[in-house]
Amino acid sequence: MLLQDHIHLTAGAILAQRTRSLLTGLGIAVGIAAVVLLTAIGEGVQRFVVQEFTQFGTNLLAVSPGKTETFGMSGALVSNVRPLSLEDAQSLQQLPQVEAVVPFIQGNAQVEANQRSRRTMVFGTGPGVPAVWSIEPALGRFLPQEDWRRARPFAVLGSKLRDELFGNRSPLGERIRIGGETYRIIGSMQPKGQMLGFDLDDTVYIPVARAMAMFDRESLMEVDVLYAADADADTLADRVRRRLEQRHGSEDFTIVTQDQMLDVLSSVLEVLTLAVGALGAISLLVGGIGILTIMTISVRERSAEVGLLRALGSSRRQILWLFLGEATVLGMAGGFAGLSLGICGAWLLGLLLPGLPVHIAWEYALLALSVALLVGLTAGVAPALRAAGLDPIEALHSE
Amino acid sequence: MMRLPDLLRFAAGSLSGARTRTGLMLLAMGIGVASVVLLTALGEGARHYVVKEFAQLGTDLLIMMPGRNETTGGAPPLFGETPRDLTLQDALALQRHPSIRSIAPISVGNAPVSRGAREREVTIIGSTAQFFPVRHVQVSSGSPLPAGEVERANNLVVLGHNLRRELFDGERVLGRWVRINDRRFRIIGVLGNSGQSLGQDLGDMAIIPVASAQQLFDSPSLFRVLIQARSKEDLPGAERAAREIIRKRHDGEDDVTIIAQDAMLKTFDGILRALTYTVAGIAAISLAVAGVLIMNVMLVAVAQRVPEIGLLKALGASEKEVLRVFLVESTLLAGSGALLGILLAASGIWVLRQLFPVFPLAAPLWSLFSSVGVALLIGLLFGVLPARRAARLDPVQALNRR
Repeated sequence: MLLQDHIHLTAGAILAQRTRSLLTGLGIAVGIAAVVLLTAIGEGVQRFVVQEFTQFGTNLLAVSPGKTETFGMSGALVSNVRPLSLEDAQSLQQLPQVEAVVPFIQGNAQVEANQRSRRTMVFGTGPGVPAVWSIEPALGRFLPQEDWRRARPFAVLGSKLRDELFGNRSPLGERIRIGGETYRIIGSMQPKGQMLGFDLDDTVYIPVARAMAMFDRESLMEVDVLYAADADADTLADRVRRRLEQRHGSEDFTIVTQDQMLDVLSSVLEVLTLAVGALGAISLLVGGIGILTIMTISVRERSAEVGLLRALGSSRRQILWLFLGEATVLGMAGGFAGLSLGICGAWLLGLLLPGLPVHIAWEYALLALSVALLVGLTAGVAPALRAAGLDPIEALHSE
Repeated sequence: MMRLPDLLRFAAGSLSGARTRTGLMLLAMGIGVASVVLLTALGEGARHYVVKEFAQLGTDLLIMMPGRNETTGGAPPLFGETPRDLTLQDALALQRHPSIRSIAPISVGNAPVSRGAREREVTIIGSTAQFFPVRHVQVSSGSPLPAGEVERANNLVVLGHNLRRELFDGERVLGRWVRINDRRFRIIGVLGNSGQSLGQDLGDMAIIPVASAQQLFDSPSLFRVLIQARSKEDLPGAERAAREIIRKRHDGEDDVTIIAQDAMLKTFDGILRALTYTVAGIAAISLAVAGVLIMNVMLVAVAQRVPEIGLLKALGASEKEVLRVFLVESTLLAGSGALLGILLAASGIWVLRQLFPVFPLAAPLWSLFSSVGVALLIGLLFGVLPARRAARLDPVQALNRR
């Protein structure tokens, strides 16, 4: 039998039973569409989270006080007998390939300006913030370069706090009371959004030494280090570790590079996407049983045809491939239909719910397609074997 | 007119006539129902587990933390600093209110704990005797922190069981001394193995009197104050009273956040419930796929049984009756499939229970009923088209086909 004849016979068999083929394909299509759509949502969320992280630049590493092996919150953030001091942060600035260092402490205080008052977050930081967190001032400028210990009482507003305190008025040059002390506003930042639950817009930035005095603490909560783009993250982490060990006598701090953080996050989200995809694949399994059922019926109905083919000299192998081909085509057709259904669905979802990040996970879509092919093939095996095993005389007799 | 038993017998007869086909359809429906039931059982199990953990802590608990965000209404200030500290004296002032049963001030920090050359950097909790009953933490040997003299910095420590093992192996520890940073503390107790609550493993921690912790960390500020109301009904009153007392002590400034344990429990409950519904919903897509399969096979069956239908109609069966014959058949199919699925799920749950005995795994009744209901509905719905096709056959032509 020629390949052409093969295709002809298979197409004929599928087209002769249009409703049946359509419904069988539909079963697979629904499964594939579910997988494509669900992994698209998973992938979208993953990209969203990674983007949230990388919007703060990529060549970052963070040093926090206390030795922790896990990502969980450690008591060291609250208090510590071995503080991470302002001088520690300053000493990192002199390391080669370090471009900027941001000391960070965070607290909560009453903020009063323009006859309005709010309780909100206060960030104590340094002049490196625009470079390290990639966030630019929208008005005025950020905290100036000066001796950290003797920083003047300047404040920079986050965009949301500026709106709430000043509305449309320019806050530049205004006085603001933060935790009972008076500061002068020299700038306000562009909107930036949330970062792990910290709203960077609903906050006020003040010099770190003043924040440490206001909150009466001697340890920083974190030091962020921006390094040169061509530097290696591990080398840098090592350099920072050695410098701090020299100063502290032991490793009583934790260094996390952005790459490590992204790796952990990505792998968690990857597992989530996989799990969701697997849930969708239950439908694919049921669709596969659909192909199996229909092929079984079809072999029984067409045993006369098989008998004729065998009588005309077709080999068992040819009959086997004929039915296997039919099952595979059914699976593939359903797969492609499901793929387009899933893509349309993802597109529609993105249109209807713009807040939900949706992104087609092509590797999963391709995987689903090959699974559809495999499902068709596997489901075809038993019926095809039965057809190939038919005795030509008896098969012809069954007519 | 066919009676229901006749209908059922007829349907069962035609289903058992084509064994492979029927078996496969049962399997398809069974897999769908089983996955829905199993996944809801997992989701509900997780929910019960979390709820139980919270309920252990008591539903009459309030958690006070320093700082308050006014502008966002978003996350509370989980570990921020405030210009005005929440002090031990603030916490003690709360204790005098009639709607408050007891309070446990908590200060937290990291410090190295050492015995000889062995040193571990762990989280130190500074609190009072009340911490143990309020957090439902028990000591396995020795005693908890002593009551009274809250403001005195006694050098006593209760070790978590992991920490004790790492520092002392199997030796006796009661009455011996460990060094925390630069001070010596006498061990008066060891926490029981059940020292895990809400994902926080107390096993790696050490508990010392709150005044000692404040000296150790050189900070008068408390991290949290746990407030236990006299009863669940007193909870709102206790919250109002606590806020008012702190405001008075802080010169009229309302600078603390108070969260009810109950509110946190409700949030988690809601999240896990939503998760269970979503997962069950995704699995239920497979029920629809099984429905499509049933429709497909029923269409085949109708086509194969045209002469039989012609005969039925020639014998006087009305369109309605033929319709009913096929609808009963598809519904019976879906229903038996659902039962098979429940059996599958039940055995799956049984196996998981043997593997993870701590996890409270049980299929909720609503998921059993709703999955069987949905399966029957799907059988009925997807059976309509084939049944209508059968019912509309012209008896003469149908008989003529042979």
